Amino acid sequence: MSDTSESPHFSSEGLRLAGSGRRRILLVLLLVALVLVLLAPLTTTDQADSLGLPSLVDRSQVRILTTIAMFVVLASGWNLVGGLTGYGSFGNVAFFGLGAYTCAVAVDVHRLHLPLAVGIALSPVVAAAFAALVGLALLRLRGHYFAIATLGIAVAVGEVVKNIEFLGGATGLFPPILRRADLVFLYLMVGVALLAVGVTRVILRSRFGYGLIAIRENEDAAQVLGVNTTAYKVAAFAVAAALTGLAGGVFALWNSFVNQELGFSLDFNIQMILMAVVGGAGTLLGPVIGAVVLELLIQLLAGRSDVAVYTQIGLGLLLAVTVIFVPRGIVDFFGGRSRLTLAQIRRSLRETGV
Amino acid sequence: MTLLLQQVVLGLLIGGIYVAVAMGFSLVWGILNIVNLAHGALVIVGAYLTWWLFARLGLDPFLSLPLVALALFGLGYLLQRGLVNRVIRAPLFFTLLLTFGVNLMIVNVLLLLFKSDFRSVTPAYSGSGLGIAGIEVPYIRVGALAVALLVAGAVGYLLNRTRTGAAILAVGADRDAARLVGVDLRHVYALTFAIGAACAGVAGALISTIQAITPTAGEPYTLQAFVVVVLGGLGRVSATVVGGLLFGLVETLGQTMVPGLGAGWANAIAFAIMVLVLVVRPQGLLGRLA
Repeated sequence: MSDTSESPHFSSEGLRLAGSGRRRILLVLLLVALVLVLLAPLTTTDQADSLGLPSLVDRSQVRILTTIAMFVVLASGWNLVGGLTGYGSFGNVAFFGLGAYTCAVAVDVHRLHLPLAVGIALSPVVAAAFAALVGLALLRLRGHYFAIATLGIAVAVGEVVKNIEFLGGATGLFPPILRRADLVFLYLMVGVALLAVGVTRVILRSRFGYGLIAIRENEDAAQVLGVNTTAYKVAAFAVAAALTGLAGGVFALWNSFVNQELGFSLDFNIQMILMAVVGGAGTLLGPVIGAVVLELLIQLLAGRSDVAVYTQIGLGLLLAVTVIFVPRGIVDFFGGRSRLTLAQIRRSLRETGV
Repeated sequence: MTLLLQQVVLGLLIGGIYVAVAMGFSLVWGILNIVNLAHGALVIVGAYLTWWLFARLGLDPFLSLPLVALALFGLGYLLQRGLVNRVIRAPLFFTLLLTFGVNLMIVNVLLLLFKSDFRSVTPAYSGSGLGIAGIEVPYIRVGALAVALLVAGAVGYLLNRTRTGAAILAVGADRDAARLVGVDLRHVYALTFAIGAACAGVAGALISTIQAITPTAGEPYTLQAFVVVVLGGLGRVSATVVGGLLFGLVETLGQTMVPGLGAGWANAIAFAIMVLVLVVRPQGLLGRLA
């Protein structure tokens, strides 16, 4: 490992999109898959039926696709903080839960009773505002402290919500059920997923993104170079929260039920991290690939047995195997660069080699 | 006044459990620089072992303590050698992910073995207690506090008075320098993790006598151990003891004395305290500056 990390050209080279041929193939494959995903569910509509088209997917598969799109958002959001900025958050589900609850409270007939669109629009705003607020305090912490403090926030916010009757209390909230809206929610969630990937791409190529990477590589050096580290970190946290909260808002309407266990699900929390890391943290497409591969795997495991226990054991095993054998993720294998590992190894060497 | 005093006593007794839970966690974190997210799961393994020995063999939970500690010591040694050792020098976040994976596996294997039924260990003396000036002091909780302080004393003695302890502390201070002077790093890593697991086992045994257990009950203990370490500070046995007792006290008083808060707020209180301490005094109340 030649240590060129301090050279200003290094990060831009690491982010070059038009990389090796293998990476280009991966991109094309992904685009084709995406188009198929977007078109196949249309065969379930009445119009397609009257044209005599065969149904290519069933309702449960539409649900799985929507779930995958949702996790693309969550993993991409986590990636902005954990992968790009190098702050391993263990509590991003707080933003998801806040988004879901914001939307659910906003549209609830007995509460604010606002239009559905307003509910969805409010979700990212509330989540981002919350992230900016706690980010100011928490982003001063590093390493384990930051990770567990964010986890603490997620658990604590979930518990506060559970204790407040206006927010549904222990029962939860029931947004209106929208009938025959599977496809609407699928496309809505895919739209949010595309937005998340688009935002990540814009950030990766911007001054803002380079600043975040500089923070990840060496925060003190970044500050000396003139990066306003606090503002950058809080901004990254808020953008991630806005995306995650938006997905939460859509989820609340799609699922038409939110409670603490669902909105602040520790399963979702760990899955989004796992997806980003398995796919390749710090890259554009890593979280996307991770979300697709892992969610399909989870569905497969869940399909094989009716007990969630085996899914969980499988996930635990996958975590161990990933961390030990492919810590740089899938994207790295295809020639993309996931710079999280090298950077963090350097950092941890610095920290442990005191 | 009696009510306040009762809550203070209860808080300190509950704090004893937190001391036991946090002792091993703090040791592993301080020496190996690993935040073991499977710590709560190890606590529950200890609790189930105690329950099994009690229900099948009729062994008193306080008598089976050494057995449970020994079993968890072995499990911890194997876990470290087989899995954790592979990421011992990896980025911090990967050790979190790995131990979380271990946590998932342990919890779900327990679910397979014992189902999610509530189990409890109820020796003949479990309901009885001592009444001093109108203040109720349950025997079991006093026993638990005593055992917790005993464990803390044992860990302190081991670290500061024995050759093995010196090796462990040396690894914690500078692993490469420790290796240069002839410390077998892999053995000391595994030993440290094993001692941490044994402490978790003891904590689990104590908990099984106080409340009903399920395989999924471990997660809060990991988080509470973290809060205790943050509160007291990393790197000293005495800091863990003070942190644990203080946490028990603050949590109990917060739940019972602050109007509007109840048992449902336990985690929120704990994390509010933790975030506050982290932001205001990151090295903990008794910790040394890094």
